[in-house]
Amino acid sequence: MDFTFLSDTIARLLPAIPTTLALAGTSVAIGMVLALLLALLRLSSRVAAIVVRLYVFVFRGSPLLVQIFLIYYGLGQFAAVRDSWLWPFLRKPWWCAVLALALNTAAYGSEIIRGGLTSVPLGSIEAGRAAGMSRFTLYRRIILPLALRQALPAYGSEIIIMVKSTSIASIITLMELTGVARQIVSESFRAVEVFLCAGLIYLAINFLLTRAVSLLERSLNPHLRGANT
Amino acid sequence: MSSYFTLIGFGPTGWGWQLVAATLMTLAVSAAAFVTGAVFGVLGAWAKLSGGRAVRGAADAYTTVLRGIPDLLVIYLFYFGGSALMTSIGKMMGSQGFLGLNGFLVGMLAIGTVSGAYQTEVMRAAFLAIPRGEIEAARAVGMGRALMLRRIIAPRALRFALPGLGNVWQQVLKESALISVTGMLELVRQIHLAAGSSRLPFDFYATGAALFLLLTTLTGLLFRGAEQRTQRHERQG
Amino acid sequence: MTAVLSLQGLHKRFGKLEVLNNISVTAHEGEAIAIIGASGSGKSTLLRCIPLLEVPEQGDITIGAETVKMRTRGDRREPADAAQVNRLRAQLGFVFQSFNLWAHMTVLENVIEAPIHVQKRPRAEVVEEALVLLDKVGLIDKRDTYPSHLSGGQQQRAAIARALAMRPRALLFDEPTSALDPELVGEVLRVIRGLAEEGRTMLIVTHEMSFAAQVASRAIFLHQGRIEEEGPPRQIFADPLSDRTRQFIRRHLDRS
Repeated sequence: MDFTFLSDTIARLLPAIPTTLALAGTSVAIGMVLALLLALLRLSSRVAAIVVRLYVFVFRGSPLLVQIFLIYYGLGQFAAVRDSWLWPFLRKPWWCAVLALALNTAAYGSEIIRGGLTSVPLGSIEAGRAAGMSRFTLYRRIILPLALRQALPAYGSEIIIMVKSTSIASIITLMELTGVARQIVSESFRAVEVFLCAGLIYLAINFLLTRAVSLLERSLNPHLRGANT
Repeated sequence: MSSYFTLIGFGPTGWGWQLVAATLMTLAVSAAAFVTGAVFGVLGAWAKLSGGRAVRGAADAYTTVLRGIPDLLVIYLFYFGGSALMTSIGKMMGSQGFLGLNGFLVGMLAIGTVSGAYQTEVMRAAFLAIPRGEIEAARAVGMGRALMLRRIIAPRALRFALPGLGNVWQQVLKESALISVTGMLELVRQIHLAAGSSRLPFDFYATGAALFLLLTTLTGLLFRGAEQRTQRHERQG
Repeated sequence: MTAVLSLQGLHKRFGKLEVLNNISVTAHEGEAIAIIGASGSGKSTLLRCIPLLEVPEQGDITIGAETVKMRTRGDRREPADAAQVNRLRAQLGFVFQSFNLWAHMTVLENVIEAPIHVQKRPRAEVVEEALVLLDKVGLIDKRDTYPSHLSGGQQQRAAIARALAMRPRALLFDEPTSALDPELVGEVLRVIRGLAEEGRTMLIVTHEMSFAAQVASRAIFLHQGRIEEEGPPRQIFADPLSDRTRQFIRRHLDRS
């Protein structure tokens, strides 16, 4: 056990953690908003539902790597993209990765939210209508709070998957955790030790995230805890 | 548009045949990985269900670790680590230089190991879903362990496991894309090579995505059909 | 006596089944109207038409001085003004058979939700009133409890407090005790009786015959979507004019 090497490696890997977390955080945040929009869109009209279903089908049925390549290497094919105001963003690996990850997680997220929406008891919705709630108030006060609570466990898993997926960004040269690890390996040739260190860090991040999600679940669901009266 | 169709076609400048070959390669390595994962899954489920403290602990560690680190990392571990292993074995046997591990083997083992972690959970849940009464009835009628496993447990567990296994298969199929980092000529690598040398990268990657969609849809239908067959004993509604 | 709400000539069908056939009912201030009948006779549908939870194909619904504006879209009839519908709903207090309390809110939060967010009344005033109502239905010490920790009877009483918090013109009870275990029925009926004795205008769809006989000021017997007979309790329950009514009462009054 070469502890000096291991501690050196970890020291070199630590600065990459913020990159990984920022990448995951940004993608999840954008993806979540998009997922909510998609889930609500799907309920709005027949045409919208078909479009959303197609979107979900494409992004869940193809590999994330292909999606990242499509955006990073593929969009440059179009002069319209190259000449637009988006190009300074879309030629950078960071934004391409964020876009691909966000679009990908939005597809999974919308299905999770949709599951939450359909789980809201019809009686609760009817009681809201009978009390004179407008559609907007009904969604804001009754449907969405109940749906999101129901979706939380599954969405927590999705967030963990997203953190792992950020490693794919290393393939388009982004220096997040996996990218830095590869660089260290190419210098030191000690692949197993370096990648194991990186793996350990990912495990730690996921462990903390899982705990955080559990805590959030518990605090939002006092109505599901055991009776204290 | 015509240049696109020429490029993916089967003519002299077309990548058609290469794409077909690469697609088959993707299917092959995915299938191999899935089967590898199934073996690990059965072992892992068995360990978790009927093993002692140490065995169960090891199985828990296996599923937690392999589901908690990125698949790409596992592939790199197997690829670089495996090659290092091969090289040192080779050195012991007297060869010089770097011995690379075959991409197919790396992909199969890496993704198989990850998939095994998920399949462990699927199979464990499937076994637990079998009504206790049916197993008791088998015991009451005098079936031995092996017979019970073959005639009662395995078929019933399969029915409950199929939906989960279908999901795992889709996962494996998509994860096989990551094997491209080893240089193995599966679909994504092939598309990447073709795209790089053409002026139509978007079209090529879109084609790649479409081919994957085709694969996931067709194989998804197969799984759905199998699910329905195993559920035909159940009442509807 | 002023008319609190009025239904004129309601027709409603589900597919081929005619569930309501030319129903007209007017409720005056202070009346407690019991709606009885066999399962499938249309009584719940009738009640649900009032707050437009079901939309009748024909007929008018008038609440207070306002008649609900309708329009036809294709082959379907629907309310023309959603804001009007919500406004009128906020003037009624509907109590469901399955309580339908909002699971993510405490009892108190359930009660104050609609007065604050639909009627836009100030929070302090609403909370004060809510506490009085909860005390009235006997749930003041459960105000911070979640519905999942309450018995069925407690949940229904909370639902009644929630309906009362809207300061409704009329209360609508849709089989309020049908989903309750027998020993919990009494506590809910007690609350409803109290409200009737206060002079609240209410319509109750119920199977509890003896309760209806004691509490109602008027009873309506529905048979296969039509009003078979209506009148004071001593008529409907003790000496009905129609044979069908008599048969129904005889079959059910003994049991309850």
